[in-house]
Amino acid sequence: MIIIDYKDRRPIYEQIVERFQDLILKGVLEVDSQLPSVRNLAMDLSINPNTIQRAYAELERKGYIYSVKGRGSFISNNDHLIQCKKDEIFQSITKLMKEAHDLGITKEEFMNKVNEGFKEGMKDD
Amino acid sequence: MIEAVNVSKQFDKIKAVDQITATIREGNVFGLVGTNGAGKSTFLRMLSGILKPDSGSIKIDGMDVYENIKAKELFFYISDDQYFFSNATPKDLKTYYQIAYSGFDGGRFDNLMKQFELDQHRKINTFSKGMKKQVSIICGICANTKYIFCDETFDGLDPVMRQAVKSIFAKEITERNMTPVIASHNLRELEDICDHVGLLHKGGILFSKDLFDMKLSIHKVQCVFQNEVDINQVFENIELLKTEKRGSLYTITARGTSEEITKRIAMSNPVFSEVLPLTLEEIFISETEVVGYDIKKLIL
Repeated sequence: MIIIDYKDRRPIYEQIVERFQDLILKGVLEVDSQLPSVRNLAMDLSINPNTIQRAYAELERKGYIYSVKGRGSFISNNDHLIQCKKDEIFQSITKLMKEAHDLGITKEEFMNKVNEGFKEGMKDD
Repeated sequence: MIEAVNVSKQFDKIKAVDQITATIREGNVFGLVGTNGAGKSTFLRMLSGILKPDSGSIKIDGMDVYENIKAKELFFYISDDQYFFSNATPKDLKTYYQIAYSGFDGGRFDNLMKQFELDQHRKINTFSKGMKKQVSIICGICANTKYIFCDETFDGLDPVMRQAVKSIFAKEITERNMTPVIASHNLRELEDICDHVGLLHKGGILFSKDLFDMKLSIHKVQCVFQNEVDINQVFENIELLKTEKRGSLYTITARGTSEEITKRIAMSNPVFSEVLPLTLEEIFISETEVVGYDIKKLIL
């Protein structure tokens, strides 16, 4: 479920956080389902359990998971997180539009590309 | 907790360890790295009470370790050059360690020996080097001690074994808060398993830091600026460990958080900039370079 890329320069804990965020936002991990225990994940990946503890703490801080004492960590309700992610995407579109405008791309060209992109994306689904 | 305060050791005229002060906390994985002859093994041997420090004190859970059986029961030391009794078999070792360590888990020992496919009745001196290491590691884990000192222990193991041993360590750390102290040159590996790293150089400790903080506090920067700039002015108040300029591309190693550095660069109209965390290997090289341990000098 979690794969560590040893060529990646980022710390391992960051990779774990990102991977879980991805899985949670995409709905692969369902709300209220349990995360692997720190011990099992550490043994699977052969890494320091404290690293995983740190990753889980970060996920909890960001609101992706909640922990129940003595039982482990679970996926939180993530509606508001998906909303946050959507807002982020819209914000980056605004930034992209500005850059496009600076390069002289017209609104029509931009919209055409957006439509094309949507068609391409839908094909995969 | 293990506390070493101002520990020094001298062999004839050679200062092997010079005024080392370090603290190893429980539940942490402590990595000991250092240049060749930096005193890593000597330090570990003093921690295990084999050598008596010339000055300073070493306390394990508040007890002096030298010639103190009570303190010695708290750890298991896997030395780099391993010694086994002549003609001994792993079974003999088990009997021996059961006397030395009251918490020694004989059943676990039998299980692990089976899992590692090591014959308990074969003489250890007929084992290969890597297999001897495996036997020592299994003894160390089964001794159920709070601390385990490993002197280049992973280095003789094949990749599958390394992975297996690391997994076992991970289990022991979560289940009974075992605290490993690992001396190694394999920085890539230490990076995966350590929380805290102590860097030794010429007998002294250069730094002892949380690996996580360390990675956040030192960065490699690549940037190109629109106009000619004074690099020292761009990075005002940020310590630069190394600056290199090739054409208009600057490659800089700087001490500071990624936000701080990005902010400073953004103020000077960069055409391109990238801030990357350093690997432990790069940190090691740049930190020892500062104190005059330079690869370029070694190659030439």
